[in-house]
Amino acid sequence: MMNNYLVFRLSERIFGVRLQGAIEILPWRRTRPVPLAYSYVEGVMDYRGTLYPVFQISQLLGLSRPGPIGFTAPDEQPPKGKSIILLQEGKWPFGISVDSVVKMSVLQDPEGQAQAVKGMNMQFVKGMQYEEDQEIILISFERLFHAG
Amino acid sequence: MDEQNRFLIVSLEGEHFALPIANLAEITVPRAVRQDANLSALFEGMMEYRGTMIPVADLKKILKIPGRTGRSLLVMKNTKGTLGFLVDTATELLTSAEAPAPLPRGLISGSQKTYAGILRSREDLVLLLNVDGLLT
Repeated sequence: MMNNYLVFRLSERIFGVRLQGAIEILPWRRTRPVPLAYSYVEGVMDYRGTLYPVFQISQLLGLSRPGPIGFTAPDEQPPKGKSIILLQEGKWPFGISVDSVVKMSVLQDPEGQAQAVKGMNMQFVKGMQYEEDQEIILISFERLFHAG
Repeated sequence: MDEQNRFLIVSLEGEHFALPIANLAEITVPRAVRQDANLSALFEGMMEYRGTMIPVADLKKILKIPGRTGRSLLVMKNTKGTLGFLVDTATELLTSAEAPAPLPRGLISGSQKTYAGILRSREDLVLLLNVDGLLT
């Protein structure tokens, strides 16, 4: 099935996440750090009256080393183009910080088991698609809220 | 205004946290805190407070916030008794018309009892500490 995906760049790779429900893309901003949170938590932010946990998905995907559990204040001056994408998984709103948003694209949903990608935590990877010779790693956050 | 809606805002390395006024006995300075080998590493020691020895803990150490030990002492009461928490400064009293919002799912392990919610103060989000859950 074809669906709308938001395509973004992270750690020099291209990822896609399926667009479901309301979505916002915001310029990166400092979020409220939460001591003792999971190491991949950047912080929490209030956007239009809703509280969003914001995740460093580079850590979730295993693309960067986990930080210490405790107080990990993010950089005040992010690289140009860095954004926060607000998403929803089921009834849980959340945000992810990405290096830059590339585009929105209509892509074929992945089918079957995703092949392992070296160095990447596969529990969030649904599969691959290719567009104009560009590999797009399609990810899903279905499992994100099961642990908490 | 109901005490349940009033909070003391404290600063730890520039970040603000809230504690319920209902649990606060006094804001003072730590005096003659004696180390006690029977206490966990989270505690600085014991201190005499109004004729009773109370344990004194560094709130930054509990929250794993790097930095120097706080110079201001909050004497708090929880369900287990009276204890002291060291903070950098107590900055203000916040009266909130809204109840604290629950922490959004996905931030912290469900077994952590550190926080009682989040308060909105002007443009800031302030984490409300759970006085009964900080040392569990």
